[in-house]
Amino acid sequence: MSDPLLALDDVYKSYGEEQVLSGVSFEMDAGDVDVVIGPSGSGKSTMLRCVNRLTEIDSGDIYLDGDCVTDADTDVNELRKQVGMVFQDFNLFAHLTALGNVTLGLRKVRGMDKATAQEQGYEHLEQVGLSDQADSYPAELSGGQKQRVGIARALAMDPKLLLFDEPTSALDPELVGEVVDVMRDLAAEGITMLVVSHEMGFARSAASDIIFLDDGRIVEHGPPEQLFQNPQAARTGEFLSRLETAHEEE
Amino acid sequence: MPPLPLQSDWAFVIENLDLLLVGTGVTVALTAASILLGFLLGFPAGAVEVYGRGPLKRAVETAGVVLRGTPLLVIIILLFFGLSVSSSAFVTATIALGLRSAAYQSQIFRGALQSVDEGQLEAARAIGMGRFQAIRSVVVPQALRRSVPGFQNEFTIVLKDTSIAIVIGLGELLTVGQNLYQGGQSTAALEIFLTVSLIYFVLTFVTNRSLDRLDDHFSIPGGERA
Repeated sequence: MSDPLLALDDVYKSYGEEQVLSGVSFEMDAGDVDVVIGPSGSGKSTMLRCVNRLTEIDSGDIYLDGDCVTDADTDVNELRKQVGMVFQDFNLFAHLTALGNVTLGLRKVRGMDKATAQEQGYEHLEQVGLSDQADSYPAELSGGQKQRVGIARALAMDPKLLLFDEPTSALDPELVGEVVDVMRDLAAEGITMLVVSHEMGFARSAASDIIFLDDGRIVEHGPPEQLFQNPQAARTGEFLSRLETAHEEE
Repeated sequence: MPPLPLQSDWAFVIENLDLLLVGTGVTVALTAASILLGFLLGFPAGAVEVYGRGPLKRAVETAGVVLRGTPLLVIIILLFFGLSVSSSAFVTATIALGLRSAAYQSQIFRGALQSVDEGQLEAARAIGMGRFQAIRSVVVPQALRRSVPGFQNEFTIVLKDTSIAIVIGLGELLTVGQNLYQGGQSTAALEIFLTVSLIYFVLTFVTNRSLDRLDDHFSIPGGERA
């Protein structure tokens, strides 16, 4: 049996007195799409950021494709080339066009020449349906378009794993759909994704597994059918029904 | 009816315009050299204040506080008569103005660097860029654009403060002007100073307009204007 693509083993993280992650362990295989849900402050984003070491863990181990990436001698830049990240607030490079955003990493990190990088950049913009906006600057794009550029930028590095940190939370409701559609396409293409999101439609239809995180611990972890229809923990049921009520009110 | 005294005095200015233009040349050269020195020292100093740590950061901050807190007149006299850093008045004036400008420019660049949101730096790190590379490729290009208005201000200040080199006898614009009437050749002090002021104004106007153009040229479409 081959190694899981990503494995977290007993990960702890605290900020001062505040314990954010308390012994988180899970595994996902290549091609999996795992969706992390949980109340705000439950440690979802922190867990995601620990995977590409934007946040350093206190103890435990994280393995990517069999390599321990939390060793002190791990080259974080090498790790991050293999793990893409999509941010809640997009974080596009404001001085570069959509194409420039996608090609910067190809040129500066992968060392590609300009022409090759642009050719590949176009392909990735095409993949998110934005090849016609290649020359637009972030300030000229809608929120949904910005996030799609953010996804294309992460995809361009050809990562083994894509992390999504609440990719639709900063969007107007009518713009959520276009981003979710792109994520659905990527899931269908077999790209391995770890997604922090409360888009239940996406979770139901695209997730291999759902991870319910509360108070820094994984309360429940299983396929969507199990969590939605037959949650094992009382907390999971409560949280999901509150989430559904909130969605109906919107 | 005798000719108005005013007429003959303006004639004196016109006769000596070539001398004033030579002084103008010195002023322009001194401004350019000082601003350049100020940029070469001030930009890294601003970056160290934002991204540096430890003794280097403290040293840069202290140097900045001392330079900003000392009158330019004191700096230039100290460098020329006290420390005798150079026998050339031009070199000494460049160092004095350049150091003082570096201290001010460091604050312009510090503010500009800090104004670029952290998220962009994080995004650059997340695609595998090193810290230095991410700062250079993502933060600096935006910070330089945002520093144009502050830089414009600093340029204007340095241009006019070159006149302080008069105390070490450098033949810049104001010195030339003062020598013209102090030599006893004329009583046209007012006319000379008006002409000198006009030249400073033209220089200021032209450089500000050029920097406006630069600002337009590099502005980010759809984005905030610097």
